[in-house]
Order: sequence, then C-alpha cells, then structure tokens
Amino acid sequence: MPSLGPWFLRAFRGLAFLGLLGVWGWNSVFGGPALNNLVIGATQEPDQLNPWEGAADTKENILALLFIGLTYFDVHGNLLPGLATEVPTFANGRLRVFYDEQGRFLRQEVDWTLREDAYWSDGTPITTADVLFTFEVQNHPLIPVTFRTFSNKIQEIIVKDAKNFTIVYKEPNPFYANPSGRIGLARFYDIAPKHIWEPIFREAIREAEAQPEKAAEIITAKFLGADPATGRDPTKVVGSGPFKFAEWVKNQYLRVVRRPDFFLRPPGPMENYVQEVIVRFIIHEPTLLAALFAGELDATDDIALSGYDPTILAAQGGGMFRVEVIPSGFIEMLNFNHFGHPRYGEEGCALARDLLLHDVRTRQAIILAIDREALAAAVFPGAIVSNSFVVRGDVGYNPDLIQWPYDPERARALLAELGWKDTDGNGILDRITPDGRKVEFRLPHVTTPAPFRVRTQELLVEYLAEVGIKLEPTNLPAAVLFSTEFINRGSLCTWPGIIEYAAGGGIGEVPADEISGELWADDPTTPEPLDNVPRRANAFAGSNVRGWVHEEYDRLHFAALNEFDLAKRAEIIKKMQVIVNWELPFIPLYERVEIMMSKVGLANYLAGAAITRTPFWNAWMWGWVERGAVRVY
Amino acid sequence: MLSYFVRRLLVALPTLLGVTFIVFSIVRVLPGDPAQAMAGVHATQDYIERVRKELGLDLPIHVQYVRFLRGLLRGDLGRSIRTGLPVAQEVWTRFLPTLELTAASLFLTLVVGVLVGILSATKPYSLYDHASMFLSLAGLSLPVFWLGLMLMLLFSVRLGWLPAAGRGGLRHLVLPALTLAASSVALVARFTRSTLLEVLRQEYITTARAKGVRESRAILVHALRNALIPIVTIVGLRFGALLSGAVLTETVFAWPGVGRLVVDSVSARDYPVIQGTVLVIAACFVFINLAVDLLYGVINPRIRYD
Repeated sequence: MPSLGPWFLRAFRGLAFLGLLGVWGWNSVFGGPALNNLVIGATQEPDQLNPWEGAADTKENILALLFIGLTYFDVHGNLLPGLATEVPTFANGRLRVFYDEQGRFLRQEVDWTLREDAYWSDGTPITTADVLFTFEVQNHPLIPVTFRTFSNKIQEIIVKDAKNFTIVYKEPNPFYANPSGRIGLARFYDIAPKHIWEPIFREAIREAEAQPEKAAEIITAKFLGADPATGRDPTKVVGSGPFKFAEWVKNQYLRVVRRPDFFLRPPGPMENYVQEVIVRFIIHEPTLLAALFAGELDATDDIALSGYDPTILAAQGGGMFRVEVIPSGFIEMLNFNHFGHPRYGEEGCALARDLLLHDVRTRQAIILAIDREALAAAVFPGAIVSNSFVVRGDVGYNPDLIQWPYDPERARALLAELGWKDTDGNGILDRITPDGRKVEFRLPHVTTPAPFRVRTQELLVEYLAEVGIKLEPTNLPAAVLFSTEFINRGSLCTWPGIIEYAAGGGIGEVPADEISGELWADDPTTPEPLDNVPRRANAFAGSNVRGWVHEEYDRLHFAALNEFDLAKRAEIIKKMQVIVNWELPFIPLYERVEIMMSKVGLANYLAGAAITRTPFWNAWMWGWVERGAVRVY
Repeated sequence: MLSYFVRRLLVALPTLLGVTFIVFSIVRVLPGDPAQAMAGVHATQDYIERVRKELGLDLPIHVQYVRFLRGLLRGDLGRSIRTGLPVAQEVWTRFLPTLELTAASLFLTLVVGVLVGILSATKPYSLYDHASMFLSLAGLSLPVFWLGLMLMLLFSVRLGWLPAAGRGGLRHLVLPALTLAASSVALVARFTRSTLLEVLRQEYITTARAKGVRESRAILVHALRNALIPIVTIVGLRFGALLSGAVLTETVFAWPGVGRLVVDSVSARDYPVIQGTVLVIAACFVFINLAVDLLYGVINPRIRYD
C-alpha cells in the first residue's frame, strides 16, 4: 500500500495545531464584571429609534438607555420625576382642573418644570423649546405617529421660560403625568432634541408636501429613518437618558456608554456601576440561549425568553443565573380584521367581508372552537386563560365576564347559522356570497416567528379544522409585522384574517389603557369620523388597527379617560370589558408571564412596574456586586 | 492565457446579462404580481395599482428592464422599500460578512477535504479510511441547523472555547465556518479519495515508483496533479452551495450576512433588495467558475486556451 510517510502527517498535525493556536489566541472575555459592562441579549431589533413612532418592545427598551421622560415608574409603581423637578399633583398645585357652574369640564392645566441639570447627551441644555418642537411633530398630519389619543387633548402649551411650561388640556387627561406618551408629547420618553431633529423634520415635510403622491415614502426615508434614528452618524443620536449612543452595528449589536453628567445617580461612586451596555440582537432563540449559557450574555431582556419553561431554564443555568418570572401586563390575542364591515364599503377588505369576520357570531364561533386552556398550557407555561382586556390583579379587572368554554358543537351551530356548510365534502366550510360567489372558510393568520406563536398556529390549525375552518398560517419578522406599513393597513387587506400579538392589559397604569386605547374608533369631540381607525383618509394613523367600531364602547372609553376618580374609572372599565367580552373584537388567549435571566452578580436589573414590565426603567442603577454596586432592589 | 481570460470575460458578460434578466424576471413570475406581493396578498386593487405605479411596474416590461439595466450600469440597484437606503449600500455592508464566512468555509473545504481524501486514498480500507469516510458520510447527511446547534452546545456551552453567536474575530468565525463547510468537506474528501485511488492505479505511477521516486512525491506531484482537475471543478461548484447554505448558517449563528438579509427582505417583500442580493451572488458564482476554468491551465499545462 502506498504511504505518504511521517512528514506529511506531521505537517497535517502542525497545521491543525497552528489553527487551534490562532483560534485560542483571541481574548475570550465578552463582558460582565471583568470589563464592568453589561451585555444583554434581545431577539428583536428595531428598524429605527425615532421617538414618535413604534410599538416594538425592544425599541422602547433601547430608547430607555438613551432617553428619560418627564416621569417614570419605579419598581413599586410609584410615579417619580425624571426630566421634571416634581410630578404635578393637586396637592402641590401643579395640577388644576376647571369646571363651569354646572360641573362641566372646562380645562385642565398641568405645570411642569424641567430640571436645571438636564442636558442632552451632546451637552445642549434641555429646554421648553424642545417640548414645543416635539409637540409640533407629534401633531403634524404627515407624520405617522403611533397614537394621538393624548396629544389630541392638548389645547396649547404655554411656555413661561426656558424651563417652565404649562400644558393646557381641552379634555380631561387623568394620565397627564404617565410615561409612554400619555402626557401627549412623543410616544417614547416625551421630549426629543429640537436642535437635532428640526432641520430634518422641516426638510422632510417640505419634500413630502412638494410630492404628495410620494409623501409616505419620503417621510419613511427622510424622517423616520433619518440619521438620529438609525445611528449612521452616531453624533446625531442625542438623548436625555443615562447612556450615550456609541454605535449600532445592524443585525449585531447596539452599544451605549454611561453619561457621567446624567442627573440621576446610583448610590456610591458611579464607577462602581456598569460603564457600557451592549444589546446584542440574536433573533434565533436557541442561539441566544446558547450564547447566554456560554457566558457571552449577562442577561436577557423581558421579551427574548417568552414561552420558555422557567424551571428548565433555571436547571440549565446551573445556579449561575437568576430566573425572574414576572406576571405580565400582556395578553396574547387573536385580532380580527373588521374592515369587511359594510361601513367601510369599497374601502374595506373583501376577504374579511367574505369570511364574515365583522359578524359577532363568526368571532364567537372561533373562540368556542379553541381549547384555550390546553393551548395556554402547551405554548406558554404558567400562562392563565384570559377573557378580558385587563389582566387579573388590576383594579379595573372585571371577574364577572363570560368564561368562554371550549365547545366545538356550539361553534359549528353558530357557523351553520351564518350559512356556512361543507357542500363539497372537502372538510372546509363554504358559502355563497350575495353576489353569487362560492367562498371557502380559509382564514389567514399572521404572527411573528416566535416558537410559542408557531406552536400556537399549529394548534389553532387543528382546533379550527374540527369545525371546518382552514387556518392558513404565515409568519413575519416582528419588524415587519409591527411596521405601520403592515399592521396599520388592514383596510388594504395586508392582513385579511387574524393577526396575533400581545398588548398591555394593565399593572402599574390602572385602569389598563393600552388595549382599550386600541379599541376605540371615534372621538365624538372631533369632526373627523373614525379618528382612531387607520385608513387612507387619515394617512393610516391611529391605533385601532382592527377596525372594530362600537359606539357604546367609545362612549365609555372617553368617559373613563375623562374620569379623575380611580374607583369610578375602574367601574367604567368593567362595563367596557362586558362589551368586549361579548363582541370579541379579538380573542384573548392568555395572560402571559415574562421570563428574564440575569447573572447572579448583576444588581438592580429587574422588571419594572410599567405595562411592559421592562427591566430598562432604571439603567443608571445597573451594576456588578463584584465591582461595588449596591443592590437597591 | 491573457487572450483566453479576456475572451472568457467577454463570454461572462452575456451570462451576467442573462442573470440580470432572470433576476429581474423572478419578481415578475411570482404568483399575482410584484405589486400585489408588495402590497400584501389581499390588498385592494386601488392600493396595488398605487404601489405598481410608484415602482414603475405599470410601464411596459421592456422599458422596465431597460431602466433596471441603466440603473445597474450606474451602480444603482434602487432603494430598499423597508429602510429607504440604497440597495447597493445594504447589500455591500452585508455581503462582506458572507464573503468572509464563505471564504473560510471554502478554505476548510480545500485544506481539510483534500487532505482527508489523500490520507484515505493512501490507506484504503484501513481503520482511518473507514473512520474518515464514515465521518464524511455524516457530514453530508446532517442538517446544517442541527449540526450548528450541536457544535454550539459542545464548543460554546460545554467547553466554553468558542463564541456561540455574532461576528467578531477569528474565534467567531470557527463554528459557522465549520458548520457551513461540513458537507463540502465531506464531498471533497470522498471525491478526492476516489479520484486519487483511480489515478494511483495508472501505469505512469507504477513507472514513477519503479524509477525510485519517493512515495510522497509520486502521490503529491504525479498523482494529485492529475486528480486535481475534477476536484477543483467540484470545489468551484460547491462555492454556490456555500453561498446559498450561508442563509441557514447565518440564522443559527446570528451572523449578519447576506443570507439573513435575503430572509428579512423576502419577509418584508423588499424586492429591490432581493434583486440586488441575488444578482451579486450570481455574479460571484460566474466569476468563481471563470477562475476555476483558468486554474485548469495552471494545474495541467497541457491544457491550452487557444
């Protein structure tokens, strides 16, 4: 037999050895106490960091590193001042509500004072000029902001000097001091830097007005995706928060560094706390977990491990990690496209109309066809089935609602009542439309590719097949699904059947407003019809992406929003739940639990009290015990 | 040689033109039409028409193609619908990581695949031969995502030797490159073994040995050179497989390359980006095959290019 001789084998081994040497020669330290930094893993990556628009949680988290609002919630749900010197209340005289002699509301005034030591991260002082500019952008009709629920209540903003201003509301706003856009300024963290955004805003508006047929495209490219939102020029990303933007390597990570001039300080020397935070975007969850257990990540955000079993995670972590199981403020839901309702006429979605999704009996049949108990147990360990838009434990929660059971027989009966039958014996229901077409009950369902949602789709396919509905599941990345180009265009049938996601249902902001805020359609005080329903007529702005309209619900919604007394407000919210519980504009599946993991030595990294339960509420306090950080919580 | 190279380049031009036509047509042959796909499967006719007009899809097809080619000549691949950025910029920033990964995998394919093949061929039916051929069979059979996760669990989680995810230095490259290269290494190893075994049975090798040529020289200089041409052909063809295989590998290892860009763009219906990406990959493939053809002459001087 031919032989190569020992030199060849030696060369082969030598090559392998050199390769290994090269590989091992690199520094193996990723982060943590050794470098006094913090590496957080996230499975979502925002498209941009524009503070006026967006809903994805990772965006809110990242912006919390760069910005702070006028106020923020601490871990116990107490509202504390951020950029403001104090939280306005009746007691301190900063909140005033005026009524006429008949007790009718006249106006509400809220006095704010910005901190003297509040600076943008480029050293520019934060002033009332920034407040006015932020409000101007928020109100501009060409800017697709997430919601105008609260900014529409503002009559005017009176500037007294560079640090003092008064917001005058023409309608009562009981959430006048709450974060997340409730004050009526920017959606994220209230105030944006005028000196950075103003030239971009003016130029984008000028171009968009010059070419109205391309206005949406221009605003997307020139404003929403401008440098201050994308980090292409890091010097343009300027914020008010505890960290300063350093770099954003798309699809890899975003890095921020501590601001020594930030006015909120952790106990003890600032050097004892993390000096740099890196958020790594690892979309594939098993990879994120591997990176965590391999020591490349110090913690996960509040979204990445949704649906994982905390017991298994704790066992896999081998005592190195703290596993926090948080009763979530979120309810996972199947949202129907209601744009098939006759009120939308030709503007509506034809497929939703063919499937009769606007008929309450269709929606009731679908909820009856799903075994939600089994589904919740299978896809989200620890989750509790929901029948409301408010989570249990919230002061506004109504326990006396219909607890929709799993009853496929009743589901079939309701569908038969609507004219659905399987005439060709293929297992899929069909019916003849008024214009003589035969349509089959093929129900599109779209959601993100998170494993628990993919599993949900698999189960839903089985449940609905039992009653003759063919579910057609698709998945889109969160960045696409939650983009206004997609989710806000249900009237154009971008998602003609069901869209599944989770929305905030309470905790910390009683009564819950996020979902209820997505359900109202028409503000009776404005001349425009269906203000909150995204349609071509309003440039697809608004948060009622389902297109559900219910007059009584709207009336109660505005009554709740106008009620300053918490107990009375909770009673109104309970009535709203009765309507939603029967009408089912969406099917509530279950209340989620969120799971976060962090290394045991990491101090003050814990879920907050805001709806999102984000752990990013106190980033300036994050630190390693090994480096002298003090555990405050 | 030079004239051959120029001629091949000239021949490559129509090939590339054909590629542009195919890439351009991809969007047009999708069910519905591109505007429909971009607007959403069930979008209203009115909205679809608006999207069609904004994209210039309402123009006659030949006009669209000429516009596309004109843009291409200027290096303008259009703008991403999702981000508003120029496609060339989007593709270029993501193509470098993919090229890095593919090049590393190609390197592994060549070095490991050929070496293992040579060793197997020189010790046929030995324990080493059986073991390496079994491993290469496994390399061909294992799904990329499974292999990637297993390597990650072993080398990152258990042993803590290598990073699990992301792009950084050489250490970050090892696991994704190994995963991506596994099937190519296996294929090249098996192919090298069988080709070399065939060549080693030729009479001119027996003559060389009879003349007292050292065994290593007989194998590496006399036999391997003749065995290399089919191996190089296979390696050239595998380049395409590596580029396309990068899609899965990049997802598993959070590698920020063009594979993930394609996946994201398909999800986002971002057709200009899909067109641009596929075009760049296809162009790479054409040029690699040209390089392989030129290599034939280097390996075997008897091959004439005139």
